[in-house]
Amino acid sequence: MNKETARSLFMDYLYDELEPETRKELEQFLENNSDLQKELDELGSVRNMLQHLPVQDPAEQLILVEPDTAGFQSWWNELFESWIPRNGFARAGLTMTSLLILFVVMGAFTNMNISINDNGFNLAFGETKEPVQSGFTPEQVDYLLQQVKEENALMITEAVQALQESQDEKLEQTLFNFADYMEEQRRVDLQLISSGLNNMEEVYYDRFRQTDQVLGELIQTVSTRN
Amino acid sequence: MNPGQNERMEDAQLVQDFRGGNHQAFNKLVARWQDRIHHFSYRFFASSDDAAEITQKTFIKAYQKLDTLDDVEKFGSWLYTIANNLCLDELKRVGRKRATSYETLKMAPQTDTSTPADGPVLRNEGLVLLHKALLQLPVEQRVVVIMKEYEGLTFREIAEILDNPENTVKSRLYYGLSALKKTFDSWNINKEVFDYE
Repeated sequence: MNKETARSLFMDYLYDELEPETRKELEQFLENNSDLQKELDELGSVRNMLQHLPVQDPAEQLILVEPDTAGFQSWWNELFESWIPRNGFARAGLTMTSLLILFVVMGAFTNMNISINDNGFNLAFGETKEPVQSGFTPEQVDYLLQQVKEENALMITEAVQALQESQDEKLEQTLFNFADYMEEQRRVDLQLISSGLNNMEEVYYDRFRQTDQVLGELIQTVSTRN
Repeated sequence: MNPGQNERMEDAQLVQDFRGGNHQAFNKLVARWQDRIHHFSYRFFASSDDAAEITQKTFIKAYQKLDTLDDVEKFGSWLYTIANNLCLDELKRVGRKRATSYETLKMAPQTDTSTPADGPVLRNEGLVLLHKALLQLPVEQRVVVIMKEYEGLTFREIAEILDNPENTVKSRLYYGLSALKKTFDSWNINKEVFDYE
């Protein structure tokens, strides 16, 4: 141990936070280092003087928390705290018991009836009545079924016939429209051909006329020279 | 289980009760801790008004933030952290000048630092000068001296509260006590002063 190490242990020594072995080692070192021992004693005397420092206690409790007792939330919290256990299992048990009691009370008020039979589990409210057998005999049911089948067949036939007629009409109308379109197209084509032939005739006529004129002029020129 | 640990367990239970909606538990925490917080802030400022204000603010803040406390067994250290931060905030707000004057000077106007050397200092004056010397320490040293000397916290607890290494805390305490020794010597204060009636 050197002086610096010894000095670094002063605070632990003064406040009794030093391990017994280290304490003993420090004390042995201090026996041979009177200057360090003196310094430690002086720090100890400072501690002694500091202990004389007076202090004042607060006159009363400076903060007092008062829960808001006016609100519903507060009332509910108090009720909750006073009645509901804190343990999780106890809370779950209390909840189940409450629900069961509520179920029984509601059942008593609503004449709830629970029964189990071949069809399964039945839960009913109000007065229960035995079901009364009322309806058709098997012969009546067969007759009704037959009648329904005939009506259905008739309806289907009529529907198919109406659909067929509708489709025929649409097809006929489409063919008429196509014929009109083809006729109109043919007429337009003929007009175009006629117009083209007329134009061609006029062109050839002009060319013949010009040729005659040129030939006439040529003949005249030749005869003049002769 | 030692008394300190037992006390921490009781604090932890009260914190849990408060979190469960029991407001009376917080009042019990205030009753258990307000003297210690008041003493700490009184020694920090040497003013009962400031001490009361800091104590009130500390518990108001604790009331608001108690849900954020992770380790409920460290309620005491957490409370000292709040109080220390509030003291530092107050010090920044009003300045060191006010913090080092106050009631010590009002109580004994004749305790000028030059007078004690001329004759024996009366015990009353010595007590005033004692507080004055403490207030003259740098804030970091003052806090450590108060927490260790008066609040009896361990070095580890102080290190946690101040969020400093333990060696830093010990070092500040060493320099704080050494500075106090020099001040006492210069003011001619010794332990006989406090035995004088």
